[in-house]
Amino acid sequence: MATVTTEGTVGLGLRRVSASKLPDQSIKQVDQLAILVDISSCIGCKACEAACSQWHDLKPPLHTEEKIFTGYQSGPGLAPNLFMYMRFQEEETPNGLVWAITKYQCMHCSDPGCLKACPSPGAVIQYANGVVDFDHSKCIGCKFCLSGCPFDVPRYDANNKPWKCNFCIDRVSAGIEPMCVKTCPTNALHFGTKEEMLLRANKLLEGLKKRGFDKAAIYDPKGVGGTGYIYLLPHGDKPEIYGLPREASISPLISLWKGPVKLLGSIILWGTLLGAFLQLILFGPIKVGKKHKKEE
Amino acid sequence: MEEIKKLEEIEVERFSRFDRFVHWLTAVPFVYLFLSGLGMYSPKFAWLLPFLGGREFSAWLHKWAGVVFSVGVLLMFLKWAKDFILDSDDIKWLSNVKYYIKGEEEKLPEVGKYNAGQKIFGWMVFIGGAVFLITGIVMWFPESFSINLVRLAILLHTIAFIVVGAGFIIHVYMGTIGVPGSLSSMITGKVSALWAASHHPKWFKEIIKR
Repeated sequence: MATVTTEGTVGLGLRRVSASKLPDQSIKQVDQLAILVDISSCIGCKACEAACSQWHDLKPPLHTEEKIFTGYQSGPGLAPNLFMYMRFQEEETPNGLVWAITKYQCMHCSDPGCLKACPSPGAVIQYANGVVDFDHSKCIGCKFCLSGCPFDVPRYDANNKPWKCNFCIDRVSAGIEPMCVKTCPTNALHFGTKEEMLLRANKLLEGLKKRGFDKAAIYDPKGVGGTGYIYLLPHGDKPEIYGLPREASISPLISLWKGPVKLLGSIILWGTLLGAFLQLILFGPIKVGKKHKKEE
Repeated sequence: MEEIKKLEEIEVERFSRFDRFVHWLTAVPFVYLFLSGLGMYSPKFAWLLPFLGGREFSAWLHKWAGVVFSVGVLLMFLKWAKDFILDSDDIKWLSNVKYYIKGEEEKLPEVGKYNAGQKIFGWMVFIGGAVFLITGIVMWFPESFSINLVRLAILLHTIAFIVVGAGFIIHVYMGTIGVPGSLSSMITGKVSALWAASHHPKWFKEIIKR
């Protein structure tokens, strides 16, 4: 994650770079990548979670005897050294108990809030294929990326550097599937272009509906321009039970800050400087003794 | 003319040792906070950060400079808040501020130790300082607060930066070239009697009485 710098990613192509001009999109015509998570096929075995940690050389936090975490999950949630986890939630519905199992990690938003909030040029990058990544060599450790994220994803290490799923950018740029997809024993995870994955998701959705899941839906939130991870939810009317926000979008507070407030601020600050300069050249410094001289 | 020469030679104390110490205890961290904040506010000023010790270092020192700044503002508030209360003359002064800008102070109500502009900047620093401190703590530890509170804190911190930053630009201009003699008063503590009589006549009369 920390090893790539934007200068080193020219070959991959960039779609967006934090606090920088939009790169020219006409050079690289790259398909958007996506992973489809078919929740109806997932058995909650956590093989993807183990494979993720193995591939990224992570040692996820272990639980001490004093603080044992109980439940189906391996821990309470994401950690700087845990890029994804399986989320388990039991939910009572009129049709009986639902066990919502979700693979949870960075969603790789098409319009990433972390990138929008980041003040450091090049610290958050989105490759032309849509993968969102951090460049720790450019990160200043301000933690603004967390406030930009609609999914509460980045987690910080002791040096305030953020960590998260990077879509196995090293693997996908070499043309192989991400580690979680490779490991999944039930084909609940599919990897390909966004277009293909949406087609496949729609086909699976039809099947689910035939099996009686008439509320089933595809989760690809438009508020962030769609995501790199799309989900097939058997209970699509209740994304919350899967830990997914119903309306995922960049907070209006963030948009207000980066948009009108910043523009107005620049006008006010430059205007003040100009005003002081004009006072100086039009009227000059406010000197002593004018009144007294007149009195003399 | 002779009288003016005499007034020019007499020195009166405007700022005590404590005043000067508190001013610079607040001002030095603020300059660092303003410049490093500017580098984080806009990528067009990101080049400032390497000059402030490095990009990562300046973001780190920004927080601790903020702690020192907050102490300075608190002391300043305790020392000066009572002097910065606006009265009816100040309102008149403000509504005719155009004469001040033109350098025609004699057309304005007589000013005490601080004019209305200085008083308002004082309140900008007091209120702004409180906003900076509270929102800054939330931004420092974003994982310990609700995410929407962190977002609101960033927005308010930015707004406070714009307001206090604009005031700071005017303050620096006035304190250096805008009103000659001001900077040395904050260094030596002394102004000439002439300076006092022309910029702060009401205050000058008060000290003469003593």
